[in-house]
Amino acid sequence: MSSINEKFTPIRKGLLEFLVLKVVSADKVYVADILRELGGTEFATQEGTLYPLLSKMRREELVDYEWKESEAGPPRKYYQLTAKGREQLREISEYWQQISATVKSLGQKPGQ
Amino acid sequence: MNKVIIINLNGNAYQLEENGYEALRAYLDSAARRLEGNPDREEIIADIEQAIADKFRALMGASKTVVATKEVEGVIAEMGPVEDASDTPAAGQKGAAEPPRPAPGPGEAPGPAKRLYRINDGAMLAGVCNGIAAYANIDVTIVRIAFAALTLAYGAGALLYIIMAILIPSAVTSAERAAASGAPSTAQEFIRRARAGYYEGMRTFGDRRAFREWKRNFRHEMRGWRRDLKREMHENAHQWACNWNRHWGGRPYPFLGWWVAVPMLRLLSALVALVCLFSLVSLLATGAVFGILLPASIPVWAGLIILVIVFQMIALPLRVMRHAMYYGGGYDPVRAGWLHFWNAVAGLGFLAVLVWFASRHSGQMHDAVRNLPHEIHRAVDSVREWWARQ
Repeated sequence: MSSINEKFTPIRKGLLEFLVLKVVSADKVYVADILRELGGTEFATQEGTLYPLLSKMRREELVDYEWKESEAGPPRKYYQLTAKGREQLREISEYWQQISATVKSLGQKPGQ
Repeated sequence: MNKVIIINLNGNAYQLEENGYEALRAYLDSAARRLEGNPDREEIIADIEQAIADKFRALMGASKTVVATKEVEGVIAEMGPVEDASDTPAAGQKGAAEPPRPAPGPGEAPGPAKRLYRINDGAMLAGVCNGIAAYANIDVTIVRIAFAALTLAYGAGALLYIIMAILIPSAVTSAERAAASGAPSTAQEFIRRARAGYYEGMRTFGDRRAFREWKRNFRHEMRGWRRDLKREMHENAHQWACNWNRHWGGRPYPFLGWWVAVPMLRLLSALVALVCLFSLVSLLATGAVFGILLPASIPVWAGLIILVIVFQMIALPLRVMRHAMYYGGGYDPVRAGWLHFWNAVAGLGFLAVLVWFASRHSGQMHDAVRNLPHEIHRAVDSVREWWARQ
């Protein structure tokens, strides 16, 4: 199992941006929310990875953030999708459907 | 009891144990390095500092005000290594210029080159021996014995030690500590790879084409490693030069000009040597130095050795200063001539005083010299006795 896990490391890494887009699309979230949401899955990640990724996505104008006061502690950055981010998410979702359909159909005998 | 360091994390003050502070600093340093070239570097670092501060806050309570080293390490592990997500080839740019290295293991950055540092953990003095032992991968006791042996030779070891203590930086951060003892030095790695490549080549010897291929690769790789080795040497030398300039350069002999300082120093050390000689003679001849009688429990030969060591210690700073004049700020023929002139003057003066003294106290001198073999015999005997008792 661990070797499969290892083989898929680059794929998981590449998919992370897509998944972050998905998580952010649902609601205004801050980093701890994203970490929690991904935490239980195969895509569990850490702040050290997430902050640089979010800053890159913001540079590409896929997400934006606003400062919000929190009940305890200092204000936090809450992220949300931009119009461009939403468009990108739609495109990637479509592409993902295609990929997963391809993966499913390959290697099957015709007529089955 | 541990030292505590107060830090400011993105505007939040926390008290950390010293080792925890080092670990955190190393983590943030490496994050800053990984993000080099990233336009949002400052912001990402601020985010990360804030996230760490939040985690620290969760650990603190009314009665707990200091973050322990273990807790800092836990938080760092939780944060995970900082990876630059942007596609800018910031990391690639550097890699392109360098020769192809053997791929490091997954998720493992190539370690820092091994450097010579002073290591203060478990050091007896300034950590020079410790650092050398770690660098050369030998037992520290051997290095210490070597220095002690060198010190017996006119204090050369002690002089070397002091110079090295000044020149070699102390390993302070954990990154430096890792560089001081962790990764194998490029030199060692070079030798290891050369040997491994050699065996590889032997295996392909039968197959002509494979052999030619191996030769090409081997040569290419060796060239890369040689370049690394040279760079490492260069870096070390540069570091040492910086330290040297900080301590000796910049303020060229502030007390008097060197043309006054050289004869002063030279005459002073000649004087010290003379006093040393006289006290040795007086100890042998009368059993007392400057009217102070040697305690009965100490044999004369031990007194002689103690005297020599005491005078070595007095002469040492003088010698260090003189050597600094020899080697500080490059070679200067005028200064070198001046130094040699005064060496000669001091030598002649020393000889003249000796001759005068010998002619005046010829009887005493004669006795003292005649006593010398006797003292040596006694020293040998007592050592043998001591050995037999063990």
